[in-house]
Amino acid sequence: MTVKMTRREALKAKAVAAASAAAGISTGAEAQNLVTDREITELKWSKAPCRFCGTGCSVMVGTKSGRVVATHGDAKAPVNRGLNCVKGYFLSKIMYGGDRLTQPLLRKRDGEFHKDGEFEPVSWDEAFDIMAEKFKATLTEKGPDGVGMFGSGQWTVWEGYAAAKLFKAGFRSNNIDPNARHCMASAVAGFMRTFGIDEPMGCYDDFEHADAFVLWGSNMAEMHPILWTRLTDRRLSYPDTQVAVLSTYEHRSFDLADIPIVFTPHTDLAILNYIANYIIQSGRVNEEFLRENVRFQRGRTDIGYGLRPDHPLEVASVNSAEANESDEISFDNYAAFVADYDVDTVSELSGVSKSKLEALAELYADPDKKVMSLWTMGFNQHVRGVWCNNLVYNLHLLTGKIATPGNSPFSLTGQPSACGTAREVGTFAHRLPADLVVTDPEHRATAEQIWKLPAGTVPEKVGAHAVLQNRHLKDGIINAYWVQVNNNMQAAPNMMEETLPGYRNPENFIVVSDAYPTVTCEAADLILPTAMWVEKEGAYGNAERRTQFWHQLVDAPGESRSDLWQLMEFSKRFTTDEVWPEEILAENPDYRGRTLYEVLFENGQVNAYPLEDIDDDYANDEAQHFGFYVQKGLFEEYARFGRDHGHDLAPFDTYHEVRGLRWPVVDGQETPWRYNADYDPYVSEGRKIDFYGKPGGRANIFELPYEPPAEAPDDEYPFWLSTGRVLEHWHSGSMTQRVPELHKAVPNALVYMHPLDAREMGFNRGSEIRVISRRGAIRSRVETAGRNRVPRGLVFVPWFDATQLINKVTLDATDPISKQTDFKKCAVRLEAV
Amino acid sequence: MKTFLKKFWAAMRLPSTHFSLGFLTLGGFICGVLFWGGFNTALEATNTEAFCVGCHEMEANVYADLQTTVHWNNSSGVRAGCPDCHVPHNWTDKIARKVAASKEVYGWLFGTIDTEEEFEAHRLTMARREWARFRANDSLECRNCHSYAAMDFAEQSQRASDQHERFLATGERTCIDCHAGIAHRLPDLSEQARGPASFDDRMPFTRRDGIPGTRLQVYLDGH
Amino acid sequence: MRQSTLALNAVAILVLSAGIAATQSDVAQLRSAPLAENAEAPPMRAQMDTDLRQVRNYPEQPPVIPHAIENYQVDLNANKCLTCHARARTGQSQAPMVSVTHYTDRDGQVLGAISARRYFCTQCHVPQHPDDPAVTNTFVDIDTLLAEEAARGAQADD
Repeated sequence: MTVKMTRREALKAKAVAAASAAAGISTGAEAQNLVTDREITELKWSKAPCRFCGTGCSVMVGTKSGRVVATHGDAKAPVNRGLNCVKGYFLSKIMYGGDRLTQPLLRKRDGEFHKDGEFEPVSWDEAFDIMAEKFKATLTEKGPDGVGMFGSGQWTVWEGYAAAKLFKAGFRSNNIDPNARHCMASAVAGFMRTFGIDEPMGCYDDFEHADAFVLWGSNMAEMHPILWTRLTDRRLSYPDTQVAVLSTYEHRSFDLADIPIVFTPHTDLAILNYIANYIIQSGRVNEEFLRENVRFQRGRTDIGYGLRPDHPLEVASVNSAEANESDEISFDNYAAFVADYDVDTVSELSGVSKSKLEALAELYADPDKKVMSLWTMGFNQHVRGVWCNNLVYNLHLLTGKIATPGNSPFSLTGQPSACGTAREVGTFAHRLPADLVVTDPEHRATAEQIWKLPAGTVPEKVGAHAVLQNRHLKDGIINAYWVQVNNNMQAAPNMMEETLPGYRNPENFIVVSDAYPTVTCEAADLILPTAMWVEKEGAYGNAERRTQFWHQLVDAPGESRSDLWQLMEFSKRFTTDEVWPEEILAENPDYRGRTLYEVLFENGQVNAYPLEDIDDDYANDEAQHFGFYVQKGLFEEYARFGRDHGHDLAPFDTYHEVRGLRWPVVDGQETPWRYNADYDPYVSEGRKIDFYGKPGGRANIFELPYEPPAEAPDDEYPFWLSTGRVLEHWHSGSMTQRVPELHKAVPNALVYMHPLDAREMGFNRGSEIRVISRRGAIRSRVETAGRNRVPRGLVFVPWFDATQLINKVTLDATDPISKQTDFKKCAVRLEAV
Repeated sequence: MKTFLKKFWAAMRLPSTHFSLGFLTLGGFICGVLFWGGFNTALEATNTEAFCVGCHEMEANVYADLQTTVHWNNSSGVRAGCPDCHVPHNWTDKIARKVAASKEVYGWLFGTIDTEEEFEAHRLTMARREWARFRANDSLECRNCHSYAAMDFAEQSQRASDQHERFLATGERTCIDCHAGIAHRLPDLSEQARGPASFDDRMPFTRRDGIPGTRLQVYLDGH
Repeated sequence: MRQSTLALNAVAILVLSAGIAATQSDVAQLRSAPLAENAEAPPMRAQMDTDLRQVRNYPEQPPVIPHAIENYQVDLNANKCLTCHARARTGQSQAPMVSVTHYTDRDGQVLGAISARRYFCTQCHVPQHPDDPAVTNTFVDIDTLLAEEAARGAQADD
């Protein structure tokens, strides 16, 4: 029998062959045998949390012969129940980018370090030699203020802990801050001001209980896709559920919106106060709840914009020095204040129709509707971001819709361990573990005691935050600087005026630890090749307080070493005599002449657990190198800070068995809803709700007004610029741009603009243009269709693209309280190239 | 009434006593041309995109929808505006459509659709009217530009050419059956909105709200 | 006024970039220009529309979409993808049916329709553009890995 192939079929077969050849699969004449031998086909499956966002999905990782060969969503994980987003499904490929760094690289000229030299491979010894030399010289000359570190919410728990310990106790410098400053700082300050304890009281189970969801500046459909599946499930499965989405442009989350709201940038402050007013005016305040659980505060106003102190806006501001202060007021004071935010005024200011404002307010006011508010960068990256956080809590407190299943103001997290590491471990310039702060003498004493260090080791002075670190680099105040697990050249605002000049300042020595040669590496003097994700044992903490562990599953390539190894190994190069002042040593002679490694990590606690405790099925490079179970020792020492103080963590070994637990974990039980007597063991006897982070268990409702943004469009720069992310790429794209399928899904950043604005400017879809601000410019292409629909007068540009560094354009204005940058608002003009 | 008509007819039959025949015929012709020209100009003025989007409801909703679609931006730069698809091109149909459209003017004058919410509430009704019209005239307005005979299958994706050969060539389907939503956002097509009786497998797929109700209890019991 | 600031800016940028350009090593593989400069933005390309299924890297990988989906509407109102890929529509469309995994809810319970949590297709399935990634990827799939091992084993036996 002959089979006749049509021309089309023949063409198709040819193309298939070409495609399979490209994919490296032989489709030769010989039939491919199906391998059925179990010994050969069996993969080793292990759990690990996803490497990307703060959702904290669990994935199953399949390994074979020392390589990751497959990943899929973990069906046993309560967070994601077998699902992943497209990034998560491609985790298998993130470690295999062709340009993985495998050797330390140092800028050299004529065989020696030179700031303007070319990168040359060096040994770890040589790398640490020059690095120690530069850090020691700086410490001698400038003291602890001269050194700095920029870390990450992608550090594992013990990496962040070791880094904080090395800087705060070892070098006695609080100049350590995580990139979570760009991401969650406003949320943190919001929590501290309203509740006195960081992180959400609710949990993801709220998704299955709420009747209404309100997204305030969050594009969950792209940024928290798996939480979006839970929200979508609820909305579509229970048709009475309602979804309101607020943003300054329409994005994918609007696809599910019953109440879609596009507002004029920055007017969310007024909308929030309008809703409070609506609740009061319509008599739907939960008075019993207020009587027992709330007090009222008037926050300081006119607090500035976190710019350099000589900026006219800072000079003009009245209360920038005491931005975080407030005074107690009465309910009547508060009610009179919000009365000004009536529907006409706010509709006019925000550009939102009255009918939509009322529909939105009714969701909160209706006593029979359980409401979940969700927000991320739209609130946090806002020069009044802390206020936004406070104002949304006001709505939940006024109605008592809080800390019960489905009633949940929920701050979503951007990074996999922004909560677990940056916040809980306290790697911020002002923090210590478990919500302790460096400015409190008792807190410092607690840290010194747990760390078994002399009194006075931890300095009181708050260190430089993220944006200030870049300013200090530029001004030559910080001279020795170490960046780990992030790409801050691409991520930080105002790159051309601050970040780049800072890194390339000839006075400075910049070390960057990364797995890939990012743009931050390009601006560095020394690059350290770094193990990533399942190349080391790790722990992350997600947005619902869930701590999750993973084992080392494969080996890191070449000479790559984990951040933990780098930090601990580097600490061996310093003695206490070199870095601690004589008065501390004189009072504590036992500490004289010892290395920082000895006093920080060989203290009888960190090195308390032997290698035998390690699971035989898994490698552990760091433990083998240092001779003890490093991760367990660090974790157990760290856990002392929170146990019996509302931040209880389970024993180390438990976490390797379970799909994470939500702290506080008391008597083996996790806590889904905090402050609620039915779930939280810390609630005082006899109370239903107890906000025990504040005196009397009362949370604060804040009186805070609308104040204008730092920069707004004018004749010269007529467009708003908002920046953000896309689903397919994680942050700066250093991992996802190296996965071909993800790269091809979204190859480059684009300028999303309104078709009629484009027509007026003479641009076509696809035209190359310049986006120009007072600070810098990029070249990009016009997109008038696609996934976002922006209003007239606004453009949106994502920041994942290393070839189009939109942070050359952004403004380094921050919230004056949280010091978090407003990446969502500055003024630009557009020009054809 | 009858006597009035008789008198009028009698008057009309009388020859003119003041104007020449030439004046009357030429004058009549010129007046006719002027009237016709004026009517047509007015008609055509209502047949431009600018007129269509002159009211806010159109501009903020359907016109905004159009701007992200292939009928607005495409490789050859041919743009289809509102009347290209929504007004028939032959005269009698056009007049009929214009008369029908006076209802929309009424709606505009009396504020049937003032807000985005009201527009959304009427979207299904309005879309259904257009889909019915396109189905009734075999997608005539599509075919003013797109004809099956002029399609180059080498330029189409295989998926598209297969479907066109199978459904369009045979007349089994007309353009709008598959391409509803090509120029504007589709209205709420959920079962709740449409009513379950109107299930139509020619139309875009839609969700069925209340999915827990579709859970297979038997499966659960069986396991 | 505007022109003078422009000119000043341009000069400042030139001076700065000259200073920095001299010190750049070409490390960041994703970039073609020094940090202070802006290369031409790569042209926008239409989505690939070949309809040729791409081999998956592993069985659990969601297949990429081998056709263009520009302006496809997937929202509360309608789902364009399911117009062809829903079980009932595949006869007409000859498109692959959505995987059976999509019919289970969070608890693994099989439903009579596609689970609402799978409603937004593009959260997992993405179209492709014809761009070449600047960096290769050295991921090896299980078949290749086994074949390589078998080959190595055969060599060792020799």
